[in-house]
Amino acid sequence: MDNVNVLIIEDTSAESDALIQVLEANNYTIAGVARSFKEALTLFYKTEVDVVIIDIFLNGVPDGITFAETINTIPNTSKPFVFLTSSTNRQVFERAKLTQPFSFLMKPFNELEVLYAIEMAVEQFYAQKDVFFNDDEDTVISSEHLFIKKGKSLKKVLIANIIYIDVEEKYCNIITENEKFVILISLTKILKLLDNSIFHRTHRNFIVNAKHIIEIIPTDNLILLTGNRKVTLSERYKDILKKVRTLK
Amino acid sequence: MSKYCSFFFDIFGFNFNIIKRLVKTKILIILTSFLIVFFSFSQEKSKDSLYYLELSKAINKHKSEVNLKKAYSFFKSKSLDSSLFYSMKQLNLKKENKNIANLCHYIRGISFYRKKIFSESKNELKKVNENFKFYNLVKLTLGQIALEQREFKKATSYFDALSKLPEEEYLLINKSTVLTNLGLSYFHQKNHKKAGPYFIQSIQIQEEEKDTIKLIGSYGNMASFYYNQYKDDLAIPYFEKAYQLTKKIKDFDLKRRTTKNMAVVEENRKNYKKALIYRKEYEQWKDSLNDQNKIWAVAKLEKDFAVKEKQKEVSLLQTENKLKVAERNGLLYSAIILLVLLLTSIYFYRDKVKKNKIIASQKENLDALNATKDKLFSIVSHDLRTSVNALKTSNASLLDNLASKNITALGNLLKKNSAIVNGAYSLLDNLLNWALLQTKQGYFNITSMRLFFIVEQVAYNYKPILLDKAIGFENMVTKKDMVYADQESLKIILRNLLDNAIKFSNPNGIIKVYSKNNSDNYCDLIVEDNGLGISNETRLKLLEDSVLLTKKEHENVIGTGLGLQLCKSMIKKNKGKFTIESELGKGTKMIVSLPKTEPNG
Repeated sequence: MDNVNVLIIEDTSAESDALIQVLEANNYTIAGVARSFKEALTLFYKTEVDVVIIDIFLNGVPDGITFAETINTIPNTSKPFVFLTSSTNRQVFERAKLTQPFSFLMKPFNELEVLYAIEMAVEQFYAQKDVFFNDDEDTVISSEHLFIKKGKSLKKVLIANIIYIDVEEKYCNIITENEKFVILISLTKILKLLDNSIFHRTHRNFIVNAKHIIEIIPTDNLILLTGNRKVTLSERYKDILKKVRTLK
Repeated sequence: MSKYCSFFFDIFGFNFNIIKRLVKTKILIILTSFLIVFFSFSQEKSKDSLYYLELSKAINKHKSEVNLKKAYSFFKSKSLDSSLFYSMKQLNLKKENKNIANLCHYIRGISFYRKKIFSESKNELKKVNENFKFYNLVKLTLGQIALEQREFKKATSYFDALSKLPEEEYLLINKSTVLTNLGLSYFHQKNHKKAGPYFIQSIQIQEEEKDTIKLIGSYGNMASFYYNQYKDDLAIPYFEKAYQLTKKIKDFDLKRRTTKNMAVVEENRKNYKKALIYRKEYEQWKDSLNDQNKIWAVAKLEKDFAVKEKQKEVSLLQTENKLKVAERNGLLYSAIILLVLLLTSIYFYRDKVKKNKIIASQKENLDALNATKDKLFSIVSHDLRTSVNALKTSNASLLDNLASKNITALGNLLKKNSAIVNGAYSLLDNLLNWALLQTKQGYFNITSMRLFFIVEQVAYNYKPILLDKAIGFENMVTKKDMVYADQESLKIILRNLLDNAIKFSNPNGIIKVYSKNNSDNYCDLIVEDNGLGISNETRLKLLEDSVLLTKKEHENVIGTGLGLQLCKSMIKKNKGKFTIESELGKGTKMIVSLPKTEPNG
């Protein structure tokens, strides 16, 4: 599991410092702190960023909104963002609200509010509402990562690294090359959200990443995966043979 | 004699050249005059009522013809010109009905005849169809016209036909008239043989009917008939008979004529004495006639005068009436105008009063608001001044302690300072939010959210102060509870409720925040403390929807009441409800009901 990278766009160092302190205390990685619009764009495209915290007013002008508008123009590169503001001035908010999805953080903020705002932004951005504050679930799935709530903070896992998923009622055991951990998500939801050209169901309880398949042994009802892992292939899901490219 | 002759000519204006004998001429002149008078009587007297009855019956068959009716009514009342006018109007309508045409032509013919326009009369009457009910009357009139126009042969043929009618046809026609006229026609044709019997026959009928006036005429005719044939012996008894009969009647004219005839007769017999007596009587009758005529004339003049006077009076009254009507109308109109004016002025007055009332109430409201603002202003500034002053003194002692390097005291003082600043900050925050709310400048967006996390976030800021005051805090809101609210305003509400709860809590007290789902539509969020509590009176006052700030019960605890007002306004804006439950000394429950979010909604 990796930390979530946060890009901070804030012109006042006192504010950014406070943010950094809170975020680092909760196992977030700071991807960078930008003081201006231009700097922010450079940092955004140069570094790996998962979430952006944007102060609406940069040096007295609402450049923060402009930044959000800018990154929103390219849908695939856009990331979840949180607006930071000290006033609920309606006109500013109405403009900011147009950069959907919209999540904001009022100054002064406390630790809980910062974390809440980030989690809300991730939920809303990936259109999987009410996940992190629900006792039944704790994972938001994007096209590249799983965002998993661990305690007060948020963690991410690269989906490409997942070898297979072992489903146990409402838990899912995620097995990567180096780790093994449990997430809370329903089977139907995970099947729906994962790319079904890569992830295949092989058994009532198993979802396998096709890229990690080394060998399929139909006679033994077995699939060999990277790192010597084995998964059962049940009769019902044997059509995986047709879907996966195999040597004949 | 010639003198007499001219005299008679003057009176009667008839020129009978045929008669050579001068003396006889006079008599004949008298005779003809008799005859003409006699005609005009013929229809009007005896059979008049029956005649008009029959005629009206015939007219009433055509009820829809207004003109015909009018023509008839004028005809009956002898307004001949009007009758002619309406009958012409009726004829111009060109109705196909022959009976109507006949009636019209008949009415016109008779009217012309009565106006003595004989040729027109004849033309009209000739247009009458032979099937006409009153055709005999037409014939009679035509005969009379022929007689008037001296076409004796024609007259003879008309009268002859009429005289031969059976008895029952004489309902409307006087047979004696027909016979007399027939006789006259023959007489004028010098056919004395034929004329004689008709005169005698007519006299017989008239004697039977005891028609004195006609008898006098007929006797006159008879007498002149004989006299003209120089049968003086036969003529004279008739003259005398006529003369005797006139004594029974009052008609001066007839008396005068018979007397004159007698005088002429006696004169011709050379009996001058008698002639003189008659002549004198004649003069007397003539005078009487003249007198009567004069009296009539005077009477007529008087009558005319009286009529004129009446007319004047009537016209005067009419004008007076007109004036009165005009005056009355004027009064009426002015009254109406006044009424309208009155009503409009009342309307405007009431409108103005209403407006004034509204303005007055608005002014009151504004005054109250202004007073509130002023009060708020003074309280806030007072509070702030107190805070800043406390900071000032604290800072002074901070510096003192720094100089003496008393580190422990420094820590305490700083803690105190931050508490003061926190109080001032929350006051200012409320003030700002109040202003934003009043001016509607704040961003407000109702979304669905989990109550638990909001409470956690707000309570997070109070952890140090709670710890400091040794007040326990529990967030027992269930994680499942979701409500619709604007996040920031909900936080403001919670902050104020927690502020209050802490303010009124005793040390070692406990503050609980929990939710209740008693209703289908609302989720209750309850902030409960076990502190001082408030009286019911204050509680109700706090819940009042007034803009006025409530007076503080706990004078030692600083506060403006602004926080609770802000809460109420915010809750209202979030479409929620707010109640307070409290007991003095036991604690207070502040209950905020917010619209629930449907599960999966």
